[in-house]
Amino acid sequence: MFRPTAPLSGGLLWKIPWRLSPMQKARQRKRLRLVDKVVDTVSTALQNNGGMTAKAVERWYQEMPREEEMLPKDKYTIFDRKEKKYRKGIHKLPKWTRLSQRVNPPGF
Amino acid sequence: MSYFRITLIRSAIGLPAKSGNVLKALGLRKRMATVFHPVTPSVAGQIMKVKELVAVSEVDKPLTKEEVHQERVPDAGFYVESRAEDMRKKQDF
Repeated sequence: MFRPTAPLSGGLLWKIPWRLSPMQKARQRKRLRLVDKVVDTVSTALQNNGGMTAKAVERWYQEMPREEEMLPKDKYTIFDRKEKKYRKGIHKLPKWTRLSQRVNPPGF
Repeated sequence: MSYFRITLIRSAIGLPAKSGNVLKALGLRKRMATVFHPVTPSVAGQIMKVKELVAVSEVDKPLTKEEVHQERVPDAGFYVESRAEDMRKKQDF
């Protein structure tokens, strides 16, 4: 233990807020758009070079919604079977700023 | 024939070893490193594996490491006139 702060002094004090702040949400939208941009660039580059295509790109377009098509619910929260109403903040997902988490399990 | 210009923006620290290995295969060893790869489906698949970590653009020809570095070097604010050296030689004689 480096500093005897409240979360480190034992007990169940994890000060992770239950929802994202407006700035965190803005950065989340920005990251989603950046990933969309990377996929678009890769796709157009393949098209320009003799109409090639890649399986991963096709699959992304089939399965994943774009940032502007997503519901706020899906941008900022994630399905969790253990939570009340089955949703929790996406920031509870480990490494959430470097993962693509856009769709829900079937039926949710 | 064009090329992908791939820059590593976010590190793969703490992510599954697979993402780190893909970056290694692409030649991206540290953040802000830039590499060039021809536009092929296999390279596209590699980019898709690490799409959250990199910035990608399509360019006509690959740049060398020095040329990429020169893009980031600011203007010196002065230039050496080519004749300055000749003038100094004259004074010496």
